[in-house]
Amino acid sequence: MSISRRKFLGWVGAAGLSTTLRRPAHAATSKHFKGYPDSFGVLHDMELCVGCRKCEEACNRVNNLPPPDKPFDDLSVLDKERRTTPKAFTIVNRYTTSKNTIYRKIQCNHCLEPACASACFVKAYTKTKEGAVIYDESVCVGCRLCMIACPFGIPTYEYEKALEPRIRKSTLCYPRIIKGLLPGCVEVCPMEALTFGKRKDLIKIARERIRRYPDRYVDHIYGEHEMGGTAYLYLSGVPFKELGMREDLGVTPAPELTAAALGAVPMVIGLWPILLTGIYAITKRNKKIAMLEKKAAIADALEKAGEEARLKLSEVLAKDDKDKERAIDEAVKAALEDAAKN
Amino acid sequence: MLKGKSLRLGAGISVAIVIFLVGFMGAFKVRALSKVSDDTQPSMFRPDIITFDNMAAFGKLEKTKAIFLHDQHTDALDKKNKDCTACHKTENGRMSQKFMRLKDVTREELTKIYCDNCTQCHTEMMASGEKAGPVKCDECHKERPLIQSSRVPMGFDKSLHFRHYRAQKNKCDRCHHEYDQKNQKLFYAKGKEGTCRYCHKEKPGKDDTEKVISMRFASHLACIDCHQKTRAQHMDAGPLRCAGCHDQKEQRKIEKIDHVPRIKRGQPDNVIIKTGDKKGKEPRMMRVPFDHKAHEEYNDTCRVCHLASLKACNSCHPLTTVNNGKDISLETAFHKLEHKSSCMGCHESKKEDKNCAGCHAFIEKTRNQESSTCLRCHMVPLPERTGVLSTSKAAKMARMMPQIWQETFGSIYKITVPKKVIIKNLVNLYEPVEFPHRKIFNTLVKQANTSKLAQYFHYNETTLCIGCHHNTPSAGKPPRCENCHAKPFDKNYLLRPGIRASYHQQCIGCHQIMGIDKYLSCTACHKERKQKIAKIE
Repeated sequence: MSISRRKFLGWVGAAGLSTTLRRPAHAATSKHFKGYPDSFGVLHDMELCVGCRKCEEACNRVNNLPPPDKPFDDLSVLDKERRTTPKAFTIVNRYTTSKNTIYRKIQCNHCLEPACASACFVKAYTKTKEGAVIYDESVCVGCRLCMIACPFGIPTYEYEKALEPRIRKSTLCYPRIIKGLLPGCVEVCPMEALTFGKRKDLIKIARERIRRYPDRYVDHIYGEHEMGGTAYLYLSGVPFKELGMREDLGVTPAPELTAAALGAVPMVIGLWPILLTGIYAITKRNKKIAMLEKKAAIADALEKAGEEARLKLSEVLAKDDKDKERAIDEAVKAALEDAAKN
Repeated sequence: MLKGKSLRLGAGISVAIVIFLVGFMGAFKVRALSKVSDDTQPSMFRPDIITFDNMAAFGKLEKTKAIFLHDQHTDALDKKNKDCTACHKTENGRMSQKFMRLKDVTREELTKIYCDNCTQCHTEMMASGEKAGPVKCDECHKERPLIQSSRVPMGFDKSLHFRHYRAQKNKCDRCHHEYDQKNQKLFYAKGKEGTCRYCHKEKPGKDDTEKVISMRFASHLACIDCHQKTRAQHMDAGPLRCAGCHDQKEQRKIEKIDHVPRIKRGQPDNVIIKTGDKKGKEPRMMRVPFDHKAHEEYNDTCRVCHLASLKACNSCHPLTTVNNGKDISLETAFHKLEHKSSCMGCHESKKEDKNCAGCHAFIEKTRNQESSTCLRCHMVPLPERTGVLSTSKAAKMARMMPQIWQETFGSIYKITVPKKVIIKNLVNLYEPVEFPHRKIFNTLVKQANTSKLAQYFHYNETTLCIGCHHNTPSAGKPPRCENCHAKPFDKNYLLRPGIRASYHQQCIGCHQIMGIDKYLSCTACHKERKQKIAKIE
C-alpha cells in the first residue's frame, strides 16, 4: 500500500494535535500528596543498629513465615549482601564504609505514593491511611509489574507457585498497628534502632538527633522526600550511597511520573478511532468521486473522438467518391473526345 | 533497480552488520575505557616530585607540565661526586632555588634554559653509556604521568627546634630575623623571635622576588643551605634530599627529644587573662588565671595557640568586631568549640580521646553550659589568700593558682558506689545482668586521674556520675535508669528511649567508642535463659 508523504504527515499531525486537546488530569498525582495526616512510619537509625538480626527473627515469627535456611543467630550471613525474599520480608545487610561498619535493615519503605500501587492494574495494592502499603493476593494476576516499578527493588515473587501468584513484602504489620501494637521488628529491637510513631513526629526526632550530634550524622533524612516521601525514614553516619541506597531517585513520586502519559490514554482511545476513521472515509470518498469523474471524462472524450473520426471518414469517403466520379467523368470525357476524334 | 526480495535481504544483512559492529565496538570502547583508567592508577608514589609550572606565568601552556624527580637527580649527581652547584647558582652566599639562573627571564630564554640544559646532560650521560633521563619532548611532558606525589608537609616542633637551638649553640640570629622596611635589610631582633610562618606565608606574594617570599621558598633557602654548609664542614646535619624531610617514613625516623627544656624568650609562667581594654578600664568578667608554663608542655608548638604572633591574645583579638567585621572577637578566640586553637575548642577535642569518649560522645556539643562550669575558669578571687608583698588583684590571683591545683588533684572520691547492680526488671530471653558498678567507676576514676584536664574539670566528686546518670543534677545517690526511662515511643518524650534500649544504647555505645570489644556480644553481659518467655503475642 503506498501512501504519499504528504498524506502520512497529515495523518500523524492530526493524531498528534488531538492529544493536546484535553484538560490536565486532575488525578491525585498531579497535586503533591504529603501523606495521610496521622499516618505512621518507622525511623531507622543506622548509627544504632548492631546487626543482631532480631528484627528478622521477629518478622518471621509474627508473619508465620517458613523457617530460614540459616538460623537467625548465624551472623555469617552478613558477609554477603542479601535482598528480600519470599521467605524474608526484611533482612539486615552489613556495609563496611569509610568511617566504620554500618548495618542497614532493608524492607518495603511504604512510600507515601507507592509505585507498586500505581503500576498494578488490578488494584492489588492499597495505601492505607495508617501508612502501610498492603497487598491483596486474591486479585493478583502475577504480572510482576510492581517488581519493575518499585525503585527500591523490594517486592519478591513466589516463582515456584506460578498458578497462585503471590508477591511477598513487608506489611508494616498492618493487622497489629491497627490494634495499637508495635510492628514485630520494632518491638524486638534491643537498641531501639527502629522508632515507631507518627511520621511527622519521626521527622522531628530525626532532625533533633542531627542537631544534637552533628558529627555523628549526615545532615539528611533519607525518605523524607525521596520518591515523594516514604514511611520508612533513615539516619546514617556516612553518605547513603555507601550503604547501597540510591541517591538519584529525585523527589517526584512514581505515579506523578506517569500521570501525564496516562492522562492522554482516554483521549487517545476515544478520539483517535473516530478521527482517523473519519479522515479515512472522507479521503476514500474523495478518491472514488475523482475516479468516477475521470471515467466519465474518458467516456466523453472517447465518444467525441469517435464521432469526429466517423465524420472525417465520411468526408474522406465522400471525397473519394467525388474523385472517383470525376475521374470516371474525365475518363468518359476523354473517351468521348477520343471517339469524336476518330 | 533491485527487485523487492533482494532489496529486503540486503537491508536485513546491513542492519545485522551495523548492530554487530556497534555491539562489538561498544564492548571494545568499554574495555578501552577500563584500560585507560587502569593506566591512570599511579604506579609510583614519591615525595620528591617537582612539577615545572613556571611557564604558566606566561599564559596558556603548550605542553603538559613536566615532572621532575629531584631526589633521583641528587642521588645521580652524588654518584658522580657533583653537588648542588651543578644546577643551582649561588647568590649572596646563598644557593638559589631556581634552575641554572638567578633571576626570572623571558619565555623563550626560560624554555631554552630547561630544555637545553636538561637534554645536554642527559645526552652526555647516554654517550658515556649510563642510564639517563629523557631527551625527547614528550618523554618529559607526559600526557598522563604515572607518578603521584606522596609528599607530606614538614614542620618544626619543640623537639626539632631545640635540636637546632642546641646545634647553633643557642645563637638565635642564625635563623630568626626581622625586616627593616626603611633600609630594606634583614636584622636580628632579640626577644622578638617567632616562627617563620608569621611572615612567610604558604602562598607567595605577587612573585617570589617580592619582599616576603613564600614559606616554601624561605624554608628551602634557609634550611637546605645551612644543611649543605654544615655537611661541607663534615658535621652532622639535616637532610639534603626531598625525601629526608617530606617522606612519611623518614619523618618518623627524626629523633624526638622527650622532655624539651623550656627555651626562654621572656614568656610568662602564669598569666591573668582579663578583658579590660588597653585604656585601663575595669575588666568586664571575672579574670581567668592561666598557667602558661603548663600549657607550653601540653603542646608541640607555640603556633597551636599563637596563630599570628607571640604577643598576648588581646593584642590581635578585639573585644568587639562590630566596626571591623574581619577580625575574630576575643570571646570567639577563647570559646569557639570547633576551633582547636581556642581554649574550649582544644579542651573539647581532648574529649575525643578513647578514654574520655565513652561518656563525652553522648554529651551534645550544642549544649548550654551551666554557670558552675564557666566558673572553673572565670574564678572568683579568694580574698583570704592575699600576699604580703603585693596587694594587687592580679598578684593575688597568680599566687592563688598553684593552690587551686592542689585542691582538685588527688583522689577526692569519697562517695560509696554500689559494688554490683543487678538489673533484672527485663528478664525474658536472658538472665539478669550483674553490673559491676564499682569496678567500672573505679576504672573511670583512674583514667580520669591520668589527665590533668580531666581532673580539673571533674572537680566535684559526683561529676563523673553524670556521664551515665545524665540529665539530672549531680548527686551522691543519683536516680536509677528506670526512674526516667520506661516504655518506648512515649508521645510525651519523643527523644527518650525505652528502658531496654537505654541500657543497650548507653552500655554498648560506650563500649564501642572506648574500643572495649570484650563486651559487645549479647551473652557477654547476660547469659541466655534456658526457659525463654515468648515476648511478642
